[in-house]
Amino acid sequence: MNYFTLAAKNLLRRRGRTVLTVLGVAIAITVLFSLLSLNSGYEKELNKEVNSLGVHILAVPKGCPYEAASLIIHGGVIPKYLTSTDLKNVSSIEGVGLATPMLMHQFIRRDAKTGQDVAHVAYGIEIDAIRELKPWWKIQGRFFNNNETNVMIIGRGLADRYNLTVGATQADGPLANFTIVGILERTGDQDDQFHYLPLAEAQRVFHKEGLITTIGVKVKDISKIATVSAEMEKIPDIQVVTMTQVLGTIMNLAGSAKSLLLTVIAIALIISAFGIINTLLMSVNERTREFGMMKAIGASGLDIGKMVLIETVFITLSGGVIGTISAIVGSSLIEGFVKGILPYSPRGSLVSASPELIAFALGFSLVLGLICGLYPAFKSSRLTPMEAIRGGIE
Amino acid sequence: MSSIIEAKNLTKIYRRGREEIQALKNVDFNVNEGEFVSIVGPSGSGKTALLNVLGFLDTPTVGSLRLNGLETKELKERELVKLRRDNIGFVFQQFYLMPTLTARENIDLPLLFSRKEGKKDRIDEILQMVGLEERGDHLPGQLSGGEMQRVAIGRALVNDPKIILADEPTGNLDSATSQMIFELFNELNRKGLTLIVVTHNLDLASHAQKIYTLMDGQIVGCRELS
Repeated sequence: MNYFTLAAKNLLRRRGRTVLTVLGVAIAITVLFSLLSLNSGYEKELNKEVNSLGVHILAVPKGCPYEAASLIIHGGVIPKYLTSTDLKNVSSIEGVGLATPMLMHQFIRRDAKTGQDVAHVAYGIEIDAIRELKPWWKIQGRFFNNNETNVMIIGRGLADRYNLTVGATQADGPLANFTIVGILERTGDQDDQFHYLPLAEAQRVFHKEGLITTIGVKVKDISKIATVSAEMEKIPDIQVVTMTQVLGTIMNLAGSAKSLLLTVIAIALIISAFGIINTLLMSVNERTREFGMMKAIGASGLDIGKMVLIETVFITLSGGVIGTISAIVGSSLIEGFVKGILPYSPRGSLVSASPELIAFALGFSLVLGLICGLYPAFKSSRLTPMEAIRGGIE
Repeated sequence: MSSIIEAKNLTKIYRRGREEIQALKNVDFNVNEGEFVSIVGPSGSGKTALLNVLGFLDTPTVGSLRLNGLETKELKERELVKLRRDNIGFVFQQFYLMPTLTARENIDLPLLFSRKEGKKDRIDEILQMVGLEERGDHLPGQLSGGEMQRVAIGRALVNDPKIILADEPTGNLDSATSQMIFELFNELNRKGLTLIVVTHNLDLASHAQKIYTLMDGQIVGCRELS
């Protein structure tokens, strides 16, 4: 006989109650674990996504920075434009290694299969500069030359969705008669979803001759990003966005949503803690006579407190294990839910369950048990044997 | 013969709201080593209060209590636990067995608290002593009242106490079973154990060597039996 089997057998006496309490803890731990794993996964994915832009500084037309940040990452139309003069000014700034113009344009095309209008994004780019910015780009087929006409390359995601192959020609839409000369290999980020045209072709097709939406800048020395962006800000009409700013802007936006979720979880944990304490106090009160008997047969107050504490830790720890497992198993569900709530979320998997996090969740449930069990254990240990046997009437 | 329990001027006052209940009034009480003593008296006469004080489950409001010549009045709770653990075995009217533990495990339970290794032989020996060799692996719910009380007696014996205190041990049992329990007490007494048994059944009380009569918290009679 030891305290663990004794505690376990005590818990099995009121099976239904024990199961419900364990479930309460499990739910709280599931939410806690999901949120924390989401948090670390979110930051990781966001960093990855922003880094995959391959650009240190972006120059965009003056406008709302939030809009700019979101559009830069997911594509879209900024209804204002920069000109080749702006490009020249940016290029001449000391420390700029590469400045490449881009024209981003959103267009609507009817999906042949579903008959629905789908928004697409086309990027007019200078191919050599882009390949320098994104050295990891690999292609099936070939890259186009800047002076080719009616050619494009597309992201793998698009190709898969519409069953497009190299050599296919677009039949309708603004890109009618454009031939796919290459398909990018999967990058795992937003690049998979875009059409890429030579800049001049994009300007021609979308009637934006001489206009650009963005200038992507790569600096010679990363530590000079601040100096270069300060210089760029002196140019009228353009707004400078560094990648750290983009990251920060989105983090801020997501931060408020996350703090709301954290409040909810804190409340859930507090409720669950009070539930545990209540259950334990109830079972301590019910067993007053039994504790009296135990004291009569030689148990000290400490022994009884220890038993109650072990029972509590049993409950919270099994709740912790169940909660952690169900959080890992149900992570995709939760991810979908959270992606719906957060104003911006990266495309990759948000939930990352590290061993440290699992250890934390289990450690947390242990501490929760110790905290919740403390008062009931203290209360039961302080009963004098007589009070206990009399059921506390005196 | 030396006194194992020596109580002088024991007074116990309980408070219930504003009411003061004097459960024991200036009780002088001596028990010799190896004696079998029963205490009889009507309900509310203070039998249980006396037993609880004698078993260190409760402290007297006034008076002195010596165990083997050691004054226990000033002892701290921790020391009382040890005293109780090493010297006293308790048997209750309601048995108070743990329903999820088998007979064997119930008997083993005090050893957990006294941090002794529960040897299988020792438990077997006790099961045999109380006549439950075949019932060791049954849960209390599968045992009869008499068997449950015998498990409880076994549990009281496992720490090798010097004294067994029993509070109405047959209060929940029929007369034949009660008779058997008292015969078991006689047997334990023959092996040298000191027994103090509270009962309201005079027939059963006469199994003892001495019968004390308690009334309104005072000892009003003492009869020695041959």
